[in-house]
Amino acid sequence: MLPKGLEKQINILDFSLMSLWRRKLKNLGIMFVFALVIFLLGSFQMLTGALTNSAQAVLKNTPDITIQKMSAGRQEAIPLAHAEKLHSIYGIRAIIPRVWGYYFDESKLANYTIMALEHDSMPYGNNLNLTLAYGHFPKKTEIGKAVIGRSVHDILGLDKRRIFSLFRPDLTLKSFEVIGVFSQQTDLLSNDLIIMNLTDARDLFHIPELMATDICVYVTNPTEIETIAKKIAGLLPDTRVLTKSQIQKTYQVVFSWRSGLASICLLTALAAFAILAWDKASGMSPEEKREIGILKILGWETGDILAVRFWESVLVSVLAFLFGCTGAYIHVAFFDASLLKPIMVGWSVIYPSFKLLPSVTLADLLLIFTFSVLPYLGATVIPAWRSATVPPDSAIR
Amino acid sequence: MFLNSWSLGLTLAGLIILALGVFACRTAVRILRYWNPQSDSNLQIKLENEIWLASTLVEYGLGFQILSVVLFVLAADTFCQVIVGAMCATGALLANSYGMPALLVKLAGIFVYGFWIVLHKLDISSETYPLVRIKYIYLLFILPLLVADITLQTLYISFLSPDIITSCCAVVFGSSDKTGPNLLEGFSQATTIFLYYGTVIALTAMGYLLLKRWLVLLAALFSAGWIWFLGLAAIAIITVFSSYIYAMPYHNCPFCILKPEYNYIGFALYFTLIPASFFGLTTVLVEPFKTMNNLAGAVEKYQRGAISFSLILLLLLTALSSYHFLLYRISGGE
Repeated sequence: MLPKGLEKQINILDFSLMSLWRRKLKNLGIMFVFALVIFLLGSFQMLTGALTNSAQAVLKNTPDITIQKMSAGRQEAIPLAHAEKLHSIYGIRAIIPRVWGYYFDESKLANYTIMALEHDSMPYGNNLNLTLAYGHFPKKTEIGKAVIGRSVHDILGLDKRRIFSLFRPDLTLKSFEVIGVFSQQTDLLSNDLIIMNLTDARDLFHIPELMATDICVYVTNPTEIETIAKKIAGLLPDTRVLTKSQIQKTYQVVFSWRSGLASICLLTALAAFAILAWDKASGMSPEEKREIGILKILGWETGDILAVRFWESVLVSVLAFLFGCTGAYIHVAFFDASLLKPIMVGWSVIYPSFKLLPSVTLADLLLIFTFSVLPYLGATVIPAWRSATVPPDSAIR
Repeated sequence: MFLNSWSLGLTLAGLIILALGVFACRTAVRILRYWNPQSDSNLQIKLENEIWLASTLVEYGLGFQILSVVLFVLAADTFCQVIVGAMCATGALLANSYGMPALLVKLAGIFVYGFWIVLHKLDISSETYPLVRIKYIYLLFILPLLVADITLQTLYISFLSPDIITSCCAVVFGSSDKTGPNLLEGFSQATTIFLYYGTVIALTAMGYLLLKRWLVLLAALFSAGWIWFLGLAAIAIITVFSSYIYAMPYHNCPFCILKPEYNYIGFALYFTLIPASFFGLTTVLVEPFKTMNNLAGAVEKYQRGAISFSLILLLLLTALSSYHFLLYRISGGE
């Protein structure tokens, strides 16, 4: 036996369902538009979560500290002599110079990222080979060998061939042999990447010997990273010292900033929808007025009619919420958020083909709920009250 | 840090609640000015209809406010990932001086709106609406609270910058030597546990007695006991129970228990503690209205309901909070 109050609410819910069904066209129309708005909001939220996750997974392997030489506020090549000065600091595990830069391929109209480092002197350096679909990273002695990302492989049209060439600044050609390709999991970072030897990279970019783009520092004890970073900054005042956690935070801020911007744009759609909902709810047809008048004459109170209207709003918005969120999940998980990804990750020709792993937490769903259902309920409450207080005698006359 | 979907969601929810409150207060002003139960003019009939509007708006406001508190804590938990040095919601809330006040005002809001709804239910149970004036004067006092709520929240968000170094929860609530401020040190675990279970037993006994025989003094003691218990339970959760839930002796945080890693047990704890305290507290607060014409029956009915409801929730809370603690004591942990 149910408590009396609960039984009454269940009966009212039953009545609301039937009342919604009697006006299917109007209600389904509202629900469809609402689900569409929720779909867009949800897609952005889930896409942000997925991007943050994949960035975090890949950034796990970034160096603990990165040192860049600054001159007049811009980054420039750092002499290897700088690295020598760091040997006095205790707790540093390895110091690895890196040469990297961008290469614009004029014939394919694509940007590649070129990266060169001595991976065999890195801690866990051999683990890097695990990120490859096949092959291995070029060793110090292997001149003219390269590992490339999957998109680079496709764009160069290599297929089964192993040799490709790039232009030096003076337009002479330098050829490379592919000895490995990155696997799909690291696509976000490795898609446009070409990894080669330090000597080759200096040759390709015409960077003088004993110079590097930046210096990576690995620290034995992770809790000492901040302290060591401070010491490095003191020893090398002309450099910018970046720690791993700073880089991770920056990624997160960028993604959340972009999704916030997208939410602001969607707020206009939401406002338009709230106005539509308000309008639909306040424009009552004579039949609806008659219906309420008859209910009141039958003994329904204002509170009961308000409850009917409340349940109607809840049913419409919760159903729309479920449809919208399911749609958003399918969009992100199976279609890689193809509608929105260019906004979030930039528009470079090479980017849009990495796989996304959506992560949906209760918190995300609650946020989408706040963004969509709250405004809807808020917009329909006053029209609902207006309809509930129609004087019965004038309504059925 | 406004350009973030969490900040925007919170602001949107705050604005909607404020809008509902302003509409409700418009009705309140009209009723306080023109209410005349003897009259049967058009205006009086209109006003009687508007009572429904105000109550619906406040009920919606309460529902939205509960959602907004949860959202606020979850947002702080997300912000902590970009604030240097913060590791969970504690660090994010302490990142500037508006975080904790905003949370407390939000929580107080739940109690204040909830009590208005109790008054309203009592009021409409009588045909003469004896509480109309009190109810709507009270409603006008809610508006400043709403404004304070959204102002503090907005200040918190706008002064939140991802560069400030803040303490993480391990420093703020944990015992440490000289690493930073410590909110809750000096509470011995044994004393806290003793007081916690002692109060649970005392409250249950008082509630049982009150259900048998009504005594105003005992009821006052019962409600006062609930205020004491609300604070005590918060301290017990922070200093004792949380570390059993985390299975880490030095992790004492009231917010991390809300995370999926701990099966959202924090929601179960707070969603029993807060309503239980609300019903326990309001038991004596409605007492003065017993003398109003034909409200005695309704007030008594509410008091009996509130006492039994608070006791049921109290037992649930005790079971939920003791689970990890006893599990550790009996079987030696996970």
